Formats: sequence, structure tokens, C-alpha cells
Amino acid sequence: MTSFTFDVQGMSCGHCKSAVESALKEAGATAVDVDLEAGRVAVTYDADKYDLNKMRDAIEDAGYDVA
Amino acid sequence: MSEQKVTLQVTGMTCAACSARIEKVVSKMDGVETANVNLTMARATVTFDENKLQAGDIIQRIVRLGFGASELAEEGTDNASEKLWRRQVALFIFSAVLSLPFLIGMFEMFGATLLPDFLMNPWVMLAMATPVQFVAGYSFYVGGYKALRNKSANMDVLVALGTSAAYFYSLWLILRGEEHVYFETSMIIITLILLGKIFEQLAKTRTSDAIKKLMHMQAKTARVVRGGVELEVKIEEVVLGDVVVVRPGEKIPVDGSVLDGQSSIDESMLTGESIPIDKKPGDPVYGATLNKNGALSFRAEKVGQDTALAQIIRVVEEAQGSKAPIQRMSDVISGIFVPIVVGIAVLTFVVWYFLVDGGLQDALTIALMNATAVLVIACPCALGLATPTSIMVGTGKGAENGILFKGGEHLENLQKVSVILLDKTGTITKGQPTVTDVVLLSDQFHSEQDLLLLAASAEKRSEHPLATAIVKAGASLGEVQDPEEFEAITGRGVRAVAQGRKLLIGTRRLMQEAGIDYAAATEGLARLESDGKTVMILSVDGQVSGLLAVADTVKESSQAAIAELKGMGLKVVMITGDNHKTAQAIAAQVGVDEVLAEVLPEEKADAVKRYKSAGQRVAMVGDGINDAPALAMADVGIAVGTGADVAIEAADVTLMGAELEGVARAVRLSKATIRNIRQNLFWALAYNVVGIPIAAAGLLSPWVAGAAMAFSSVSVVINALRLKRVNIDA
Repeated sequence: MTSFTFDVQGMSCGHCKSAVESALKEAGATAVDVDLEAGRVAVTYDADKYDLNKMRDAIEDAGYDVA
Repeated sequence: MSEQKVTLQVTGMTCAACSARIEKVVSKMDGVETANVNLTMARATVTFDENKLQAGDIIQRIVRLGFGASELAEEGTDNASEKLWRRQVALFIFSAVLSLPFLIGMFEMFGATLLPDFLMNPWVMLAMATPVQFVAGYSFYVGGYKALRNKSANMDVLVALGTSAAYFYSLWLILRGEEHVYFETSMIIITLILLGKIFEQLAKTRTSDAIKKLMHMQAKTARVVRGGVELEVKIEEVVLGDVVVVRPGEKIPVDGSVLDGQSSIDESMLTGESIPIDKKPGDPVYGATLNKNGALSFRAEKVGQDTALAQIIRVVEEAQGSKAPIQRMSDVISGIFVPIVVGIAVLTFVVWYFLVDGGLQDALTIALMNATAVLVIACPCALGLATPTSIMVGTGKGAENGILFKGGEHLENLQKVSVILLDKTGTITKGQPTVTDVVLLSDQFHSEQDLLLLAASAEKRSEHPLATAIVKAGASLGEVQDPEEFEAITGRGVRAVAQGRKLLIGTRRLMQEAGIDYAAATEGLARLESDGKTVMILSVDGQVSGLLAVADTVKESSQAAIAELKGMGLKVVMITGDNHKTAQAIAAQVGVDEVLAEVLPEEKADAVKRYKSAGQRVAMVGDGINDAPALAMADVGIAVGTGADVAIEAADVTLMGAELEGVARAVRLSKATIRNIRQNLFWALAYNVVGIPIAAAGLLSPWVAGAAMAFSSVSVVINALRLKRVNIDA
């Protein structure tokens, strides 16, 4: 399992949080931890099956900017 | 390409980030021309190329983002929020009708027999309580489950827990063949909390009035001239460059600049300034303002989302949805509150069951009832409302008064400020030089007016700001004729022939170089210059005839506004690039505490920094363009706009009116809002803090606890609405 923390811009409410969570889970993340206040998203995923770009794309597809 | 426009109803948006996200994602779709999402109206307007995609694709994309979307059949009818509202009301009525007999039944405790016996049959009660518990109370289970899954706990958890306790305990009693059950407790709690939500919703729709008011201010149609014909078109159809005609008493449809005609325009809806502004060709006009007495035609320069009004609406929308730092406090409280309450409830149960009534027959009942009362009274439901409702009312009230807060945090920060830095030019002063003195030095002229009119003719073709001031002053006296000859001498002045006379207007150097003796002017020059004015010598036919002094004059209201700010205990500092003499002259007129003169534009931010590092909280007030770095550096940057380029981007707070009084009003509004939030937090928690020990002691029946909770939400919203009536003028 690999963990990575993204800086994500534009999340400000509970809806945003759950949208990012479900997008990442759909992309194969096993655990997602969103810190709204800090704009940080910690993702845990299986690096053998998925890669970081896929995680990033999932966040961006959901409409947020990854810094 | 065939362009198609669709309006969608979007559900599930809770903040400005949601609407911005949809807007961004949809506009990126291949074939989409423009996408506009309005949070308040819960609508998305999209124009797209029909050959490339269909409305259904857009809906799908929005749904994939986690929102609901559907095509809006007819403008303004039956939107989703209304449906939701109707559902809420229906659920309440459903729940109330089923619970009513038992509410009446409670009076039987006082000896009266009001209900037919069959209703008291436990199985009948079960039949009535079950739909209330799981249909009307469904949302509490869903909300509670969602919260727990996110590892947090909210009021839904408490309500679901409390009412389920009463319901399932009663069910267990029935199955054991007992006669006395407690279904009425859970039913009445659910009904009362639903009622509380309805009250809350009613009050909330009133808090967001400001935006609706702003939107309704817009004109619906515009009269434009195309191909020499005047036609009435919808406001959305006005395009850049259109010539728009407005009659007296009509609203200006879009932003632009006047081509022809004169009128005065009431701009109070944008600036809060109640005095109508005179407009003549070349002056800017803004959409939604009211044309008072003359007919005007103007060229449309900003339409749709670019107009000042649209910008204001956007800023207010975002500010209303934003969080103030004080909100964090209520988030923290509610985060730790619920677990503590569950703990207290368990403790209550244990104490009552094992210690107080140990061994008694209905010990379980009493213990369970008291624990339920604790769970219900403890709902921090009002806590979640306390801050956002006040921020919403506060920013809305600001917008109505021409004060735009960009976010809740600025509304909170402004009241903490201890030093206010005021940029001089354009903020304290009018920012335009005006003729202040005309001195006659020879008997060639009958009056100062004649001298001024002649000087105005000479300067008529010059572009220099000093010349503009003289021409303007001349025009107020009579007709300014064109000069016969004109030559501008850079850095020195002008040489002209007007009305048959040879004129020189300018500096000492200009006179020296022309060989004119200006000894007669020396004394006047020194006196006027020591007042911080720019003085020009005027010679007519080779002889010194007079002096013209020009200065940037103080706005009428500046002195009073600065006195007000000082009266609030703030230190007021003037900051300017002018020389010390000029700065002191203005400072003495308006009465600031400190003056920083000869400050270069790029040094203004450093000045802000110095005050900050001295431990002060600084607000910087400027006209937004050259002061941008200082505005950004300050704790709160306040842009004084003239309604013109709404320098919204640079500042935290934008004052639509040009007068300094707006600063004092903004500070007052900020103070009133924060006070209101504190009161709300008190009301939100007071019920809980007082109620929990009473409930734990067994003195509060669960349904009274439910009523108290419903009432705490209502009192918070009502208190926030009081903010609407706060007087911020003095």
C-alpha cells in the first residue's frame, strides 16, 4: 500500500468532501482522508495496480484543482 | 453550428465551491460554449453546440459530480427546492395528525377522558407510531448514518437514538404483554422537531432576501437602436456596442457610457448613496440604476455576467456561503458535544436504573425516559445555524448599503482592526484637482470671473489635469470659447491666443523665459504654495495679471467620517505620495491622528507591514488600483470604488460609494454581526447546558425536551434576523 497527500484547491463544504472521497474510491483508492480546512487529501492505494496519475485525474475530474 | 441554450435545475449544491465546480467542469465539455451556475437560484444555464452534444449529456456530467440535475421546463415554476419544501410540510402534517390524539391524551393525566378507549390499545398505538418513526423520522436515520460514517455525530444521531430508544422499548413491552407503552414520546418528539425545521426554513428564506432583491432590480427588457430603428429586446439579447435608449423613470438595463442626453440617475441600489448623480455624455451608467428626469442614449459596454450588478451578486453569493473563523468554534463544539452527550445519557440510564430506583418495577422505564430526554435536549442543532445565518444576514445587509464583503472572515476581521490607513488621493480627497483660488493682480480685468474664463479658453485644448480643472471651473461660469492659437510647453505651461489676447499660463520658469517680470506675484505665490496648492501665473499681453491655484480638494464628508472612526477608538493614519507641506495641509483639514507623506506607491505596503509588526491590526483603505499591494498586505483591504471598476478583486471589502462614511458603516456592521453571532452561540447552547442536568435529574419529559430543541433553532434564526434592522449609520 502506498500513501500520498495531495494539495487540493476549491473544497469548502461537506459535499465537496464526499465528492472527492467517492471519486477516489472509484479510482481504486482503499482509504481517503480529506482535511477540508487545510485543503489536503491523503490517499492510500495499491501502487502495483494503480498509479498516482490516476488518483490525480480522479480529483481533477471531480472538478477540483490539484496544486 | 447550431447553438442551443438550456436551463437546468441543479440540486445538492451547498456552497459556492459546488457551483464553481459545476461551472468549470461543464464549460470544459466539448461543445459547450458557456456555462453559468447560480447557487442561490439552484440553476445552471448552458449554451452548447447541438451537433456535438445534447442536454442529456450535460445532465449526466453534473450527476456524475454528485449533484442532481433536470431540465427546467418552464421558467419559475415548480423548482426542486419548492418540492423539497412541500415534502417537508407534508411529512410534518402526516406526523402531526398521527401524533395529535396522543398529545390530547396527555391531558388525561389531569383526569379528563378525551379519547375513545380503542386508541389506548397498545397495538393501535404501535400501528400509528410505526409510520411516524420510520416514514416521518426516516431523514434522521439517514442523516445520522451519514454522519457516523464520516466519523462525526450530529443532531440526527441524537434524535434517531432518542426516539428509537422510546419506540423499541415500547415494542418490547407490548411483546411482553404490558399495557403501558411510550409510543407517544417518540411520535411527539419527531413531530416537534419537524415543526422546528419548518420554522427554521421559513425564517431562512427571509435571510437570503438580499440576493433576490438584487436580482429583481435588473430591468427585464431594453430598448436598443439597430439599423436606425428602436426595438424592445430582452435584456439577455443586448450585445456589446448596442446603442440603448432610456426614458425618464426607466431602469438602465446594462452598463455603458452616455452618448447623448443629460439626466440624473439614482444609483442608491448599487452605492447606497441616496443623492442622484448627474450624467452627461461620456459618463458611465450602470445596469439596475434608475434614470430620473432626462432621456439618455448610451453605448452598451458590459452585459450579462460582466455588469457591476452581476459582479455584486456573485460576490455576495460567495460571501454568504463562506465561513467566518468564528464558525470553527461551533464546529469544534458540536464535534465534541455529541459524544459527551451520549456519554451523559448512558450515565443517566445507569444511575437511574441501578442506583436511584434499583429494584423497582418500572425502573427500566424511568431510566430509559430520562436518558431519552438527555439525548433529545442535547441536540446542538441550533449550533450549526448560529454562524451561517448571521453571516448571511450581515453580508446581505452590507450589499443593500453598498458594502461588499468578499467573505465571512473579513466581516469578522474588520471589527478587530485597531489602525486604519487612509490613502489620501481619491479616498480622503476627490482625487481630481479643482481650482481653489483666483487672484487678480492687475486692473486689466473687472473680476476674477473674467480672468478665469479667459484662462479656460487658453487651456481648452490641453489634456493636462491642471488644465482640465481650469476649463471645468470656467465652464461653470459661462461659455468657454476656443483659443485662436494654442501651444503646450511641456513642464512649464501653455502659450495661447484667445479673444485676441496673448496669454501665458504656467510656472515661474515660463515667465522668466518669456522675459516677463513677475515680482508682483511673488507674495501671492508663496502664500498659496504654503497651503499645499499648485499655483500658476497668468500673463496677458506681456503683463502679469493674476494667479490660479489648483488643489485636490477634500470630499465633503471626509472630516465627519474620520471623526466617527476616531470616536470608535481607531487610530486614523493618512498615507500619501504628496510632499509634507501639502499632506499636512490636508491632514489639518480632516483631523487624522498621523500623517505619512512622500510615500512611494510601492512603499505603501511596507508602511502597512510596519504597523502590523508593531502588533496592530490594520485596515487599509484605498481606491483599489495603485494601492493593490497595500490592500493585500493589510489585515483587511478596503477598496473605495465609485461603482466604476468595482476593484473587487484587489480588496477584501469594496465600498460601492465613494464616500469615507462607508468605512465607518462597514466597521459598525462588522461589530453588529459578530455580536449577533456571539448571541446566537449563547442561545444555541443555553438550552442544552440548562436542559441537560434537568433532564438527567428526571425532571424533563422527553417531549418537552423536543419542543425546547425546536425552539432553540427558531430563536437563533429570529435573533439573526434582528441584524437586518440594526442601524449602521451612526
